Amino acid sequence: MLRGPLTKALPCARILSPVKTLSTSAINNEKFEVFIDDKKVMVDPGTTVLQAAAMVGVEIPRFCYHERLSVAGNCRMCLVEVEKSAKPVAACAMPVMKGWRVKTNSEMTRRAREGVMEFLLVNHPLDCPICDQGGECDLQDQSMAFGSDRSRFTDIDHSGKRAVEDKDIGPLVKTIMTRCIHCTRCIRFASEVAGVDDLGTTGRGSDMQVGTYVEKLFLSELSGNVIDLCPVGALTSKPYSFTARPWETRKTESVDVLDAVGSNIIVSTRTGEVLRILPRLNEDINEEWLADKGRFAYDGLKRQRLLTPFVRNCQGQLIATEWEDALIAVAQKLQTSEIAGVVGSLADAESMVALKDLLNRLGSEDLYTEYPFPLEGSGTDLRSSYLLNNKIARVEDADLVLLIGTNPRFEAPLFNARLRKGYLTNELDVGYIGPKVDLRYDYEHLGESTDLIKQLASGSHAFSKKLACAKKPLIVVGADLLSRPDGAAILALVQQLAAKVTTDANVSSEWKVLNVLQKAASQVAALDLGYKPGTASIRDKKPKVLFLLGSDEGTISRGDVGQDCFIIYQGHHGDHGASIADAILPGAAYTEKQGTYVNTEGRAQQTLTAVSPPGLAREDWKIIRALSEIIGEKLPYDTLLEIRDRLGQVAPHLIRYGELEEANYAEQATELAKGVSSNLSSEPVDVKQKNLEDYYMTDPVSRASGTMAKCIQAVHKQKQSKYYEEAVN
Amino acid sequence: MASQVVKSSIVGTKVRPLLSTTKGDARVRVLGLYKAWIRQATLIPHDYDIPKNEEQVKERIRSEFLKHKHVTDIRVIDMLVIKGQMELREVAALFKHKGQIMSYWKESIEPKPTDFISKFVSGSS
Amino acid sequence: MAKLIGLDKLANYFRVIKHNGGILGSIKTLLRTDDLKFGTLVGVDKLGNKYFENNLYFYGRNRWVVYHEKFGLNYDGSLVPSEWYGWLHYKTDYLPHEDPGRPKHKWMIQDWSENLSGSDKQYVPYGTTRTKVEGWTPPK
Repeated sequence: MLRGPLTKALPCARILSPVKTLSTSAINNEKFEVFIDDKKVMVDPGTTVLQAAAMVGVEIPRFCYHERLSVAGNCRMCLVEVEKSAKPVAACAMPVMKGWRVKTNSEMTRRAREGVMEFLLVNHPLDCPICDQGGECDLQDQSMAFGSDRSRFTDIDHSGKRAVEDKDIGPLVKTIMTRCIHCTRCIRFASEVAGVDDLGTTGRGSDMQVGTYVEKLFLSELSGNVIDLCPVGALTSKPYSFTARPWETRKTESVDVLDAVGSNIIVSTRTGEVLRILPRLNEDINEEWLADKGRFAYDGLKRQRLLTPFVRNCQGQLIATEWEDALIAVAQKLQTSEIAGVVGSLADAESMVALKDLLNRLGSEDLYTEYPFPLEGSGTDLRSSYLLNNKIARVEDADLVLLIGTNPRFEAPLFNARLRKGYLTNELDVGYIGPKVDLRYDYEHLGESTDLIKQLASGSHAFSKKLACAKKPLIVVGADLLSRPDGAAILALVQQLAAKVTTDANVSSEWKVLNVLQKAASQVAALDLGYKPGTASIRDKKPKVLFLLGSDEGTISRGDVGQDCFIIYQGHHGDHGASIADAILPGAAYTEKQGTYVNTEGRAQQTLTAVSPPGLAREDWKIIRALSEIIGEKLPYDTLLEIRDRLGQVAPHLIRYGELEEANYAEQATELAKGVSSNLSSEPVDVKQKNLEDYYMTDPVSRASGTMAKCIQAVHKQKQSKYYEEAVN
Repeated sequence: MASQVVKSSIVGTKVRPLLSTTKGDARVRVLGLYKAWIRQATLIPHDYDIPKNEEQVKERIRSEFLKHKHVTDIRVIDMLVIKGQMELREVAALFKHKGQIMSYWKESIEPKPTDFISKFVSGSS
Repeated sequence: MAKLIGLDKLANYFRVIKHNGGILGSIKTLLRTDDLKFGTLVGVDKLGNKYFENNLYFYGRNRWVVYHEKFGLNYDGSLVPSEWYGWLHYKTDYLPHEDPGRPKHKWMIQDWSENLSGSDKQYVPYGTTRTKVEGWTPPK
């Protein structure tokens, strides 16, 4: 994908504007008037007919046009009549001229639409009753609204309809290529947003086919989005195939927690079962995309679940019990102040605040998160040290990004999509410190050594000049890098670097140079609530009781706490935590509870209850609340509203849902970091997720998912294909 | 009595009684219904083959009447008497099933949990 | 004449008492079977159950089995061996040893086994539909 042509092809006026000022500064930018169905509208130059019509609320039918993709203009569904024009014009591609009178409902327009629809349907199969797109199909809807009311198709017995062989493009997307109407949305998405130039067309006219040219799989961390983009049933979801019709399902608005981006999702359920997950529009976070893990890992919610409480009996066997017995058994062990709590990556803020209150009442302050973070300097006291301060959406505006020890493509795929968008449309340059990985855009690889950060901070590296010249520079540090033993030194260096860049490049105070990209959905909320990062001090303290709240990453093992330690695991999946536990309390997964999560930019969002927890599983904070009453240290909240009041007392921004709480005091954090004494180690900068197969299974839900396992198999299979080539970066 | 109640709640509205005009009148109706039920009580255990004897049935009828002893509004008393008569007709005519008769004792219905722990354990919260 | 004044009923009454082994025996039989009958003993099966026939009784009540005393009150229909089943249920009028063309299947030779209904070893039908949520089982 070249960077230039797209810039010109993109119709969006906002994206166009910088280019325009560069190349065609002679043309004045004054608005002019056009008439859509005799309604006057003032538009900027370069606006297309379709956009102008949208401004006055006239929707023009379209198949190939999509707001977030470049204009193709090949479906011809958006033909409209323009006065004094002999032929109808394609509204999606044609910029309006001054004084045009567009007629979107004239006889000519209607006949054009009917004609286009007739041509589309000539070669479209009549298999709506067995098509998964049925009920949410653009072709169905538009043929009802704009198609002819009678058919002239009689040739079914002789030459028949066009038939195209189906392609195997992976375990996630099912293709029924006969249904394809060649809108090329999937091709444009793959090459523009996902950055995987695998899809394309072959042949012309009725021989045209969309495919991968050679036998290969369409493997990308964003591949599921082509299912939503496809206006017909040519690309449908493989795990969801033949499952339900859209009108049968109940939709619940929720938030994805399988990465720290906090994508907005819609959970479709029927009869107490999650059937599929779709993205929900949120311009500030995920636009209308969703990464494959968040979209397809839902079948992990139905496997390996903890359905009853378990307590280890005297023979050392975990025995399924009732809640009364489990609560009493756990309460007996909890009569001590030598308790430590560890929260995992999927814990919600409500359960975390309840656990913190409970352990504090029992006289323990040992509450930790699974992922370490340097505590020297300001530590986690100042939020600017651990947030993606500059907001996800504003990444597009940056002109220089330095990625240090992070692979955003797999740690936060939608953040990477933003970076790629900036790279394509905004002349964004990317510098990278870490092992060579494939980010699907070009970057300047500076090396793997931690010394590079030092050099950059002192200004002796060649890249420093670029940083100083940049108008809107960004530094993005991976949370993994800061979890190293010398994380404090790295953070201090990066903070110095950011401070230097801020003064050198003279960026405005609005623009935050330093950004930390978190990996776990619970991490920011946990640090906001005052949890201490990292589990290292548990190994020194050897507590008598260890309370694991959904911690499954294996950062703490039985050997770390000794055989005498009573380990309680509360969570929803039988994973690492459950395997070392002496008592297991079944909790609810993120689709089964109303919980608060804070994403990596510090935005509090809540999930809603789509299905009820399976078996005897209960909402997490209620388990801790019930436990507290049995211990005799009753926590003062009985309802969700009451615990959210408590949440608001601890950190008020946690209950301001949808709003981003910005972090200040970055300068003070930098000042405090100057006192950091620890030294940089010579260990090279590394990232954990390097290849696509590392992306799919990162948490208990996706590890239990069969679909994710199939994806990893598909990646391995792809590597054996003769058409496979290593990334060039 | 009833007139007092009416006066105190809806001033200036005169309400016509249903059947009884005086409290004594209502009392006669209630006693009549009670006698009829007690006479029927001798037959109920046999008619419906329920595991209750005559004494228990009479005790149940008595407690049902006493449940409404605080009612003073004549119109309400009349309404209750009419309902009791309807019920009696159905019982006497064997329109009911054994289970419906047994449901007068309603021993199988558990009260819903109210405190947090019992709601948590029963999963109803 | 005796029939006319009902003396045969009286005679049958005494026959019944005699058949069941006196007054005490009759009370015992009545306790076990809720019935008092008399008839000819036509055979004893391998479990020791006795089979009687008396065509004085109406069809349907004229063949019966008295289970062996070792079963006490704890008897049920599964105690009738397969070779006697046909005669007892009027599928055939031949007694097991008289029947010329009786097939010999494997299941007919099978020994009697106790009916486990109501115990913890009883047969429970199971569904083959998948559960919506698969639970985790702790490793052994």
